[in-house]
Amino acid sequence: MIAMRRALFSVGIRPHLRWRELGLLTIVALTLVVGWASLQSFRSGQLEMGEASLLFTYLLAIFVIHTAFVITGRRMDEILFPTAAMLAGISLLLMERLPQDLVTQQILGRELGLADVQLAWTLLGFTVLAATAILVRSDGWLRRYKYTWAALGIGLLLLVFVFGEVTGGARLTLVIGPISGQPSELLKVILVVFLAGYLAENRSLLSSASTRVGPFRLPPLPYLLPMLALWGLALAIVIVQRDLGAALLYFLVFLGLLYVATRRASYVVLGLLLFLAGSAVLYLAFPHVQDRVDIWLNPFTDPQGAGYQVIRALYAYGRGGVLGTGLGAGLPQVGSVPSIPAIHTDFIFAALAEEMGMLGALGVLGLYVLIAQRGFRIAATAADDFRALLATGLTLVIVVQAAIIAGGNLRVVPLTGITLPFVSYGGSSLLVNGAVIGLLLALSDRGVEPPPPDQRTSMSSRIGRRARRAGGRLEEALS
Amino acid sequence: MTQQPGRRDPWRRFRARLRGSFRPRAVATAPVPALRPSAIQVAPPRIAGSLMRLALAVAIAYGALAAGLGYWQVLEANKLSSDPLNPLVLVAARQAPRGTIYDRNGNVLARNVGTEDDRQRSYPYLAAAPVVGYRSDIFGAAGLERTYDAQLTGLVTLRPGDELLRKFRDQPYNPSDLYTSLDIDLQQAAFDLLGDQRGAVVAIEPTTGRVLALASNPTYNPNRVVDPDAGRDYVAALREREDSPLLNRATQGLYVPGSVFKIVTAVAGLGSAAIGPETTYENQPEEYDTGFLVDGFRVRDSRRGVQTDHPLNFYEATEVSSNIWYAHAGLDIGADNLVAWASRFGFGDRIPFELATSPSQVNGGDGPLAGFQDRVELANAAYGQAEVLVTPLQMALVASTIANDGLMMKPKLVDELRASDGSVTRLDAQGWSQVIDPGRAQAVGNAMQLAVEGPFGSEFAGAAKVPGVPTAGKSGTAQLGGEAAPHSWFIGYAPADAPLIAIAVIVEGGGAGAQRAVPMAGRLMSNYLGVAR
Repeated sequence: MIAMRRALFSVGIRPHLRWRELGLLTIVALTLVVGWASLQSFRSGQLEMGEASLLFTYLLAIFVIHTAFVITGRRMDEILFPTAAMLAGISLLLMERLPQDLVTQQILGRELGLADVQLAWTLLGFTVLAATAILVRSDGWLRRYKYTWAALGIGLLLLVFVFGEVTGGARLTLVIGPISGQPSELLKVILVVFLAGYLAENRSLLSSASTRVGPFRLPPLPYLLPMLALWGLALAIVIVQRDLGAALLYFLVFLGLLYVATRRASYVVLGLLLFLAGSAVLYLAFPHVQDRVDIWLNPFTDPQGAGYQVIRALYAYGRGGVLGTGLGAGLPQVGSVPSIPAIHTDFIFAALAEEMGMLGALGVLGLYVLIAQRGFRIAATAADDFRALLATGLTLVIVVQAAIIAGGNLRVVPLTGITLPFVSYGGSSLLVNGAVIGLLLALSDRGVEPPPPDQRTSMSSRIGRRARRAGGRLEEALS
Repeated sequence: MTQQPGRRDPWRRFRARLRGSFRPRAVATAPVPALRPSAIQVAPPRIAGSLMRLALAVAIAYGALAAGLGYWQVLEANKLSSDPLNPLVLVAARQAPRGTIYDRNGNVLARNVGTEDDRQRSYPYLAAAPVVGYRSDIFGAAGLERTYDAQLTGLVTLRPGDELLRKFRDQPYNPSDLYTSLDIDLQQAAFDLLGDQRGAVVAIEPTTGRVLALASNPTYNPNRVVDPDAGRDYVAALREREDSPLLNRATQGLYVPGSVFKIVTAVAGLGSAAIGPETTYENQPEEYDTGFLVDGFRVRDSRRGVQTDHPLNFYEATEVSSNIWYAHAGLDIGADNLVAWASRFGFGDRIPFELATSPSQVNGGDGPLAGFQDRVELANAAYGQAEVLVTPLQMALVASTIANDGLMMKPKLVDELRASDGSVTRLDAQGWSQVIDPGRAQAVGNAMQLAVEGPFGSEFAGAAKVPGVPTAGKSGTAQLGGEAAPHSWFIGYAPADAPLIAIAVIVEGGGAGAQRAVPMAGRLMSNYLGVAR
């Protein structure tokens, strides 16, 4: 033991025990074991764990990651990882419980069902999480090349037009050879990196007013142009690709970051007005947007057609009640027909609320609130503006996304298809959200490399400055 | 151009960090760029402050989600779980034996037949169809079978908190038997009397609002609807028929009421004090010959030879059913009062009831006079013509309210639910609204008694009299315009001094009230009160 410690010390690694994380992970493990036992016992009618290799593989993985954190000695937040582990664990219970043939994949000659595939993606996602958290020791690679990242992300999104696969009327999935994924998931992180870098650099200018338009004080146009252009491009692409959930997410995260950077309520008001105007245009221009809104307002006008999915979800809430039916005792399918289409992706929250009840669903919402609290705390104690804004943005990405889909499930807002982070089935989502939590963990480490004293000599910011100058001349010419 | 001197200086940055996280690095001394002459560069706000407000926004959003959960999983949960389209209801219907439905004397109105694998509903009394409805795997449910579907299958009991504990029970389903207030003998008698005439009968116990009979003719055979083999053809044929046997005329049929509506006008007049029991109209006797001219329209009384020698008061006008007197009264009462008092009876809204109801109306609703087009429409509506449309249930409630001293009870069919676990839920009688004070209600009641038993009234409505029992009521002959035969109406109650039954009878195209509806009502009330005729 001491020898090992000495060996680690000799290569510059100082293990640091994480008691709080260990305790929380133990609670997570016990909860999941009880949940698994409850599910298997309901199925067989007697108290048993059944075939539990799936669960124990997962539990082993989260404790291995914890050990890795301890050995590498990083002084990171100890609550975020158990929270994510709880959400992903609940997801595995739900996937195990749902009909396994919702998703099947042939891997190495074995046919894997829904729960197995989800476990594989969860393990990959957590590997990304752990790798990001342990290996990222500097943020220069993020802040220096923000335009490059943004260009890459948008390029990836554009590739969907060429290699895209249409599912459910929306062109979301990029398929190149054997690899497929949803670039809009990745782009959300890239956009946050870009916005954080841009806003951190121009914060003081953006928060000092200059132009007055009616009751609104606007910052000088040239300083907004590069940011608005890139963000608008991303927004336009996802709207054209009919990924309304991603569009809403980008918009809200942008607004949140803009507010945190400038503390200007007028930007938020202006943004919301633009949002209303934009929504009105979308509503008038696209029939599928109209359908979404009509279904939201009156699902019962066509209960067997357009309103079917939403109404079936409402039934699930009714069946669940306060305490829920219990795992396995709900009604995710009648005969062989799933009772809610897309129950394992867009409507996982309804499945959860049915079997775990209002209390269980409130608990899951509470986990996202916990992520928000930790993330904002990391932002508030960050070493500089870029890190603060990056942490804020990463937190918002998860928290706002969860709110958008849960709100859509609950008919609080119109339904837009997007995943419930860590809970919905889906590989892209698990990988990207793993990276998001991993980055947040890395940012929370007080021992991380201090921010660079200056950043404006980089190629990308020179380009940005030129763009701003061009914009400035444009404004001069206009005025 | 955006560079500030302070940013280049590592020492300043270090000191700034010592002072506390991210205080301004931008300094106000930067040269003002030429293109923004108004801009004064100030320190950006601290991030921590705006973070707090962002956190507040997130908290509010999640609060809204929690409220949404509470709304669907607590407030709306029962409604959602008993929706017939809910797959849970279909699954439970296959797995659990359904509750039995009884009438007030313990006669079985609906029960299960067949084996456990092939369970089916059976309805021994065809006459109960408009009330009990049916439960079919193909067509869903109707009537009480629909309203109490969740309780009959045992998904939901009406006891608070029961759902909370369902997951801890061995047997997830707890089907309830329904005990209704329906009197199947009275119901059968109503169908027998209607025979092959289209129409409806509603009988209510005035002091409780319990529905004793609710007949709608023609009706359908629920046993054939639920037949898994022949059901589809049968229902298709029913839908084709032009006499709409699937329509529940008693609760959803909208009819011109004619003179039975005068009771509503009387309540509006006495209640608003626009008229009194002694109100007379000077010109009314001579208008008996000429007609009462309202803005170019002549209101006429069809019956001759009675009461032309002096102006009629309220009692006399009601006994002889004078349209002219009521047209005068209607104009005195005014559009606002008539609409307001009718709405106290439930006009304008669906009556809350265990079967689907249609809203009754006093006028077309789009005119300038509280919905009336003009004074002509108001005058005609006052005696039940123009755009007045009512359901038989609504008119039975009017009679029942007068019988119960102006207190309208909520109409109800089910008295008790007995769940298979032995628990009993009673659905008690509920007062709905005090439409008019007891004294004035009795004045209207006295007029209705005269309309059945008085020397002139008995000419029209005497056949409704229950022998030896004081009887009150009002007949009606609803003109439909053109050559169409009028609807024959009667509403009333007995015994007048201590009412046990209130009734509304309509026979479509049955002619004058006296011809069809009045004697039917007399027979039914006599049957119910056990008086031989």
